Amino acid sequence: MFNHFASKAIVPVALSITGFVIVCVLILYSSIKVDFLRDAVRQETSLARTVVSAIRYNMMTEDRESLDHIINSIGAQKGIEHLRIFNKEGVVMFSSEPGELKRVVDKTTAGCIECHSGSKPTVRLGSMQLARRFVNARNHNVLAITSPIYNDAHCSAGDCHFHPPHQKVLGTLDIGLSTESLDRRLLSLRWKMVFFCIMVLILSVGGVSALLKRNLLTPINQLIEYAKKVSVNNLDKDFPKGISEIETLGQMYFDLAREKKCAETKLINIKKADNMSGRKGG
Amino acid sequence: MFLRRKQKDTQPLARGESVLSPDVRRQKIQDRIHYLKQQIYYSKWCMTLFFLISFGAAVNFRFLPPISEQAKHLLGEAPPPTLISVGLIVYAFSALILILGRMNTGSVRFRGWSHIGYLSAFYLFYYYTGLLRGNFWSVFIAGLTILGLEGYRVWSACSESIKKEKEILAILDK
Repeated sequence: MFNHFASKAIVPVALSITGFVIVCVLILYSSIKVDFLRDAVRQETSLARTVVSAIRYNMMTEDRESLDHIINSIGAQKGIEHLRIFNKEGVVMFSSEPGELKRVVDKTTAGCIECHSGSKPTVRLGSMQLARRFVNARNHNVLAITSPIYNDAHCSAGDCHFHPPHQKVLGTLDIGLSTESLDRRLLSLRWKMVFFCIMVLILSVGGVSALLKRNLLTPINQLIEYAKKVSVNNLDKDFPKGISEIETLGQMYFDLAREKKCAETKLINIKKADNMSGRKGG
Repeated sequence: MFLRRKQKDTQPLARGESVLSPDVRRQKIQDRIHYLKQQIYYSKWCMTLFFLISFGAAVNFRFLPPISEQAKHLLGEAPPPTLISVGLIVYAFSALILILGRMNTGSVRFRGWSHIGYLSAFYLFYYYTGLLRGNFWSVFIAGLTILGLEGYRVWSACSESIKKEKEILAILDK
């Protein structure tokens, strides 16, 4: 199968074009995925900051009832998988899931380890380092952000309650959003890229095959048929025309066949003459 | 230069060897067949080696000890992932062009070993940046294409040459 001219010409072209296009598409997909994810993290960070700003006043006045109400309202929004605030010791103080209250967060889990990996916790991290992806108990893909609630002059000098000025982080807000829409967009992009790859493969292989068939395979087959006809002394100039190399070959076959026929005719004449002279002599 | 290389690679015997005795000539042809078969084996071994390395990369080189802080400090910051990806595209493109060029000249020598080094380097770069999982398939497909095309080129050229050599051997045996 691989010894045929068509496969010899098509396999390298198809392999190199398809392979290269797949590599480019995979790299493009990976780059777009990172961009999508970065955008989602940016939006989520912005949402976390908005929540922190919205609850700041309630935290300063220690209005726990309002705080609880805000957290529950935001947590009930579509697409929000969880929203919780835990204090510096990792105890969940407010949560959209009532069952989580007063539970201690494991500092070695994703989202916590980024700051708590060293002996002293890191105070500030980039937004991408604060993000984590996981599948929650409801089997939903979640993109979560932990946003530290920093100490400021109002907190450390507040009348209601007191945080020492040297305490940089008072607690952490943890918000998790469903990545369903992001996953759907990525899946759609993946399918579009698969179709694109298939189209490139069909176009490249189909294009090369069509050109080869039109310009090479058909004329060669016609030449083979012509050579067969010429070999049985059927002398006509019906060789394939249009491609100069094939035409030259056809012309050469024709010339060879004509010369062969002439030689044969001469030989027959010589034989006849010999026979005649033999009879006369006999 | 190209023409001379082509002749050297594809012609069964060099000029002037017709004066050699049939036994010596037979031996030379057999050596040549052995060399051509060896090139095909090399391409298969190279592909197997690449699969083994890729298997390691697929499991994120779990069997390797984690890079120590000291080693990380010594190696410095990882290159940006975009730069590695651009490097991979440029490398794949150049490698394919070179292989197609060699296909054109009819060279029978297998030249895929260096690609194992380049592809492993890409795996290691992505591993070092911590993005190997997301970019494994792009390196794997690039390797499969490059080594597949190189293997096909070597197999195709060597099979043709082996056929020619065997024909000559059959004539000598008669």
